[in-house]
Amino acid sequence: MGIEIPITADQGLVFRRLRIALFRNGLRLALQSSRTRLFGTFATCLIVAAFTFGVGIYLFDQLEKNKIPFKGAIVEALFDLLFFTLGSMLLFSTGIILYASLFTSPETRFLLCSPARADHIFATKFQGAIAFSSWGFVVLGIPIFLAYGLVSGVPWYFYALLPAYLLGFVLLPGSISAGFCLLLVRYMPQNRRQFFIFVGLVVMAVGAIWLYKVGIGLNQSIASNGRDLSDLIGQFDLFRSGLTPSHWMSRGVMAAARGEIVGSLVPLALVWSNGLVLFVMATWLAKRVYRSAYNRLAGSGRGKKIYKASRLDRLMESLVYYLDPRTRVLVVKDFRTFRRDPTQWALLIIFGLLMLFGASNFRQYYAADLAVMDKYAISLVNLCGTAILLCAGLSRFIFPLISLEGRKFWILGLTPISRDQLLRGKFAFAATGSLIIADGLILVSDLLIGVPWEGLLLHAVIATIIALGLSAINVGLGAYMPNFRETDPSKIVVGFSGTVNMVTGLGFIVLVIGLMAVPFHTAQLTKKMNDGQISPWVFAGMPFGLVLGILAVVLPMRAGARSLRGMEF
Amino acid sequence: MIDIRNVSKLYGPKVAVQNLSLQVPKGELFAFLGPNGAGKTTTIKMLCGLLFPSSGTVHVGGFDLQSEGDSARALISYVPDQPFLYDKLTGREFLKFTADLYAMPTSKAEEKIEWAIDLFHLEEFVDDLTERYSHGMRQRTVFAAALVHDPKLLIADEPTVGLDPKSIRELKTLLRQLADDGMTIFLSTHTLDIAQELADRIGIIDRGRLLGCGTMKDLQKQASSDGNLEELFLKITEEVENETVGA
Repeated sequence: MGIEIPITADQGLVFRRLRIALFRNGLRLALQSSRTRLFGTFATCLIVAAFTFGVGIYLFDQLEKNKIPFKGAIVEALFDLLFFTLGSMLLFSTGIILYASLFTSPETRFLLCSPARADHIFATKFQGAIAFSSWGFVVLGIPIFLAYGLVSGVPWYFYALLPAYLLGFVLLPGSISAGFCLLLVRYMPQNRRQFFIFVGLVVMAVGAIWLYKVGIGLNQSIASNGRDLSDLIGQFDLFRSGLTPSHWMSRGVMAAARGEIVGSLVPLALVWSNGLVLFVMATWLAKRVYRSAYNRLAGSGRGKKIYKASRLDRLMESLVYYLDPRTRVLVVKDFRTFRRDPTQWALLIIFGLLMLFGASNFRQYYAADLAVMDKYAISLVNLCGTAILLCAGLSRFIFPLISLEGRKFWILGLTPISRDQLLRGKFAFAATGSLIIADGLILVSDLLIGVPWEGLLLHAVIATIIALGLSAINVGLGAYMPNFRETDPSKIVVGFSGTVNMVTGLGFIVLVIGLMAVPFHTAQLTKKMNDGQISPWVFAGMPFGLVLGILAVVLPMRAGARSLRGMEF
Repeated sequence: MIDIRNVSKLYGPKVAVQNLSLQVPKGELFAFLGPNGAGKTTTIKMLCGLLFPSSGTVHVGGFDLQSEGDSARALISYVPDQPFLYDKLTGREFLKFTADLYAMPTSKAEEKIEWAIDLFHLEEFVDDLTERYSHGMRQRTVFAAALVHDPKLLIADEPTVGLDPKSIRELKTLLRQLADDGMTIFLSTHTLDIAQELADRIGIIDRGRLLGCGTMKDLQKQASSDGNLEELFLKITEEVENETVGA
């Protein structure tokens, strides 16, 4: 017979009050002491949304003006692809954030020791993860649909239904990834490495087969001047099946655009009912397995592993031979931390492989005797892709480095290494890695496509400038705007300073490529119209690009060093 | 109040707690001692229901922590060595949240919150956001939250870390008073003089095994020594270390 326990609280209400108090206090504090930061975040979101809206208006307008055949089918396929891509991103991002919130955060440790019920803890963390991972969906998704609505002259309820569609949709991937996350932690085989390798290989094989099919379809459709467009669209059947939520979304949105009110409400009901059922199922699952999953993860010790120095560490040290020995030690320390965290380099490898896969696909155009000017268009796309990959990678891995030193910063502060050396070490580490990745990817993809030597040389120079500039921007701004309170790097990246860094990096890329690459590529594309002559003026942007690169290295590093020197620990 | 029976806990191949059996009655102040990595925190985590035993059972107030965890946790307050507070809540809001979580009626909650604020001298900073608190302020706030809902069992892991001497003295007096009033207190600490001064009984754990458990006199008898707790602790743990090395 147990002791009498107190009556049970309405925990849903208690957690709602908690969230409201946290939001209210956070907002009040931001308005009082971080007004610039708050408005900066809004302004950045607005700029990104406005840019997406502008591009959307232009593209949808082109479809309208040029009387492109199968316009409706193309737009619906594009929306299918958009929802499927955003849904997949939400699947991963919600899963990762939820994993960290449910299993590694001090807050859940606190709540799990209280009478808070497992399903309530889960529901609270789920809502937080959804809000955190879907803001990009709102910032990128809404402007695209607004642009489509304005160009196509849709009825008013198209706009009214949009928020309902988007809100309902985020529940679906979020709930699926939450359920998967709980089941994975609860029932994952003991040998995690083998399990993840197996899952990774299956995912990559399925992805590779699909991309190959899409590549073939794209190749044929371009080679046959659009005759095989329906075949290409057919390759996206995966997204267009009546069973996929992404297709419910695009079907409903398109029906609303056409003015078919019933046709738009049925898919909306499908989205919401399935989303809510999945959320209830995930919550039920959490009630059953969350505590045991937590126990399993916390109690799953592994055998003693001896970590030794690696040849890769020695290679890294030799690559930064020009630094003084103390700074080299720091660089090797950062590199060792990086290579021992598979979640860090696995993403880079996947992106890199996808890009090379794309380049090898485009090679088929060359083999199919496509006009030589297409090579330049594709290589420019590759250059932009590499630059964006580098920008995303550095923002994710390098920008949070100083912040992550966090509460340990005093250890570095007490070492006989000056803070300038510390910053130079981080820059050397970032620049070495990004030079290898950027120049490696550009050279291999250009060689695969068969870009002539002058184009190849130009791309190598641009990739070098971008790699060095982005490295300095990420290291410098990381030191200038550190966030020592946060321990989760993904949250540092999506915070205000991370967003400013990302936007600065993207702006830098646009300027460098715009000044140095676009004139050359435009000249190559219009060569036939100009009797095969290229004006030397196409290289006029080169010195400006070089100066921009130097400024991108010097200014952020100087600002970062000044901030780091003045930092108390 | 606490009934731990034949509990073992494995972290993969590593044995953190080995066949531990321990009973702590209502109103007892029990001190749990052991070197680093001895299994103290793992035992505490099983007492709070954060971890489940690999074998054996843990009951608090008659409730099995694994099958009736929510009921058991309603009786418990846990003060960890690294206190958690919501950065964007004030101390008062955190106390209110705790009271709500334990389903305290509003009027009683307000009364107990004022009592806890007064007891731990939180008046000066209780309406500031907790992100501005020092370690000692955080520790006092967490203690206030732990006591605001009148728990039947208070589990404290290194409760005096970060507190100033005056606060330590006050905390010691309070803990003794609470135990005398019927609250069961399970105290894990490295500060042996606190254990010797306050505890009704003391348990010594090393390498996951309970090496000794009883009053000071029981431990002195076990170690065949009239020394203080420090001497007894070193003697008992060294004996096991020698046995392990010899084996």
